[in-house]
Amino acid sequence: MSTKVTINRLATGVPGLDEVLGGGLPEFSFNLIAGPPGCGKTTLAHQIMFNLATPERPALFFTVLGEPPLKMLRYQQQFDFFDSEAINHSIRYINLADDTLAGDLDEVLRRIVSEVETHSPALVFVDSFRSVVLASQTQDNPNNNLPQFVQQLGMLMTTWQATTFLIGEYFTETDTNPIFTVADGLIWLRQSVQRNSMVRKLEIMKMRGQPTLPGLHTFRIATPGIKVFAPVVLSPAELPQALPINRLKMGVAQLDEMLGGGLPRGYSLLVAGPSGSGKSILAATFLAEGARNGETGVIAVFEQRPNHSQNATLSDLIRSGKVGLVDSRAPDLSIDEIVQMLLGEITRLKATRVVIDSLSGFELAVAPTFREDFRESLSRMVTALTHSGVSVLMTSELEDRYTDLRFSPYGTAFLTDAIIVQRYIEVESRLLRIMAVVKARASAHSDELRQYSIDDNGLHIGDMLPEQEGLLGGRPTRQRLSNVDG
Amino acid sequence: MSTLSEESRRIVASLAHRVGPHADTASIAEAIAAILQAMDAALTPIIGQHGFVALYRRSLHLCASAHPRLAGTYESLPAAMDLIALKSVIVEQTDIDALFFGEVLLTTLYELLTTLIGPSLTARLLSGVWEPSLSDSPSQENSP
Repeated sequence: MSTKVTINRLATGVPGLDEVLGGGLPEFSFNLIAGPPGCGKTTLAHQIMFNLATPERPALFFTVLGEPPLKMLRYQQQFDFFDSEAINHSIRYINLADDTLAGDLDEVLRRIVSEVETHSPALVFVDSFRSVVLASQTQDNPNNNLPQFVQQLGMLMTTWQATTFLIGEYFTETDTNPIFTVADGLIWLRQSVQRNSMVRKLEIMKMRGQPTLPGLHTFRIATPGIKVFAPVVLSPAELPQALPINRLKMGVAQLDEMLGGGLPRGYSLLVAGPSGSGKSILAATFLAEGARNGETGVIAVFEQRPNHSQNATLSDLIRSGKVGLVDSRAPDLSIDEIVQMLLGEITRLKATRVVIDSLSGFELAVAPTFREDFRESLSRMVTALTHSGVSVLMTSELEDRYTDLRFSPYGTAFLTDAIIVQRYIEVESRLLRIMAVVKARASAHSDELRQYSIDDNGLHIGDMLPEQEGLLGGRPTRQRLSNVDG
Repeated sequence: MSTLSEESRRIVASLAHRVGPHADTASIAEAIAAILQAMDAALTPIIGQHGFVALYRRSLHLCASAHPRLAGTYESLPAAMDLIALKSVIVEQTDIDALFFGEVLLTTLYELLTTLIGPSLTARLLSGVWEPSLSDSPSQENSP
């Protein structure tokens, strides 16, 4: 029999926050929500409060100096989580402005304690704690001992079995503020601005007794409230490839042949080629072939003029619900947000095939602050997707640089399990297209450079051009042997 | 808008109910002051004393501009929310004017709060102000 205390964890109801917290918020914990003005502190507090407060477990929200309560009620009502019915029922607002103005922390503490004793709340919020601090500084009052105030508040609230949140701003992380020591949890909100883009980020700087997810996590504030994009937690062990390898048809028979019988299930495939080489058509064919076999798919488009509106097959698949579309025009996307959208669609449709068209557009859609880490982020995304069991086809714009044999920008080639390269070549005053399978991990594949063409019926792979050489240079020549003969 | 006028009718009914059928200006003044006090008691814990006084002042100002006939009366009141001064101004009116004054002031205050925090939250916060007195109210005010 275990005699250790069990700490209940409260589900905050803020999407993604419980994951970042490491399994919810410890009951009776004493927390600080901090960050600069406008970063969403009051909104986060309200969302947690409306989600957790019940008539049996009521909440007290103390407004101190700062945002006038009328305005707070006015603006917080704009969020879906705000429920007028809860006010004065499971949620009670208490204004302490006058007590704070007097500047006597002992009096503020006495008021808080007396209200807590009257209402026995399970949740207590103090907004904003910063004004309590300021009040303690403005008055030359011997009773104003902030560390003592915080210490006592923390002790009293825990004893009264209340989970407490102090909301504060302007704290600097390097401050030796007494509250940092007393608090069980520090939730830090930030707005990261780079050039013309703004990304909201959240960090759990401290949460006693819990394995929180370290680092900065992006979040958005919209009408439903705050949504945190927690990174996908990967299962520790990768499942060994089942034998014999289960392969997916690509929708082009010759290409399946070149891949050694199709794309091994769960692989990530990079299709790299210059503009107009047919990458998007190949991607659409890949999804259509899946649909033909009763599979569903998801496509994420990051183009200014998305190809799916021009590709009839693809738009039919999307309309009929066989393919889910992730087409976020939200500015300043983060990788975790995109991964969540993709995984959401994959789960919804039980999809097995995923297309990302294209990585170049994807890079542009991502907020500038993430571009420096684009390769790492891309790697995380590919891993998250393939871990979920889907097969991923990504297209990548490849500038034709005939002098070198490069397969992808960003040096991402190593991230994928398979690579198909498309190129233009010049033969007899015509622009011909050739395609080759460059890589297919742990699978025999063709080494042929095959000519292909595109017409209304899609992509057709033809033969090799054995009499030509130097194809990858873009300007092949007839083989010297035949030149000599001729 | 319909909810608002419905609420206004409720305020008028509540006032009429508290005043009773054959009241003098003194009991009208008492009834108005009592409702204001109840509103104060409901709102001050949430928005603070200063917050409520500011709403009260703004309501007086709105009443004065909407009803020039009463402008002098509204403007003669002190800046702070002084119920004794308010009552002494009301008792100087005729019965009809006193009742009208009260109805306008209370509905204006209610509607002002509605523009700020919306009808449902306003109704929620002030529900206790009318409920006890209306429990046995006749429904003659809501004739179709």
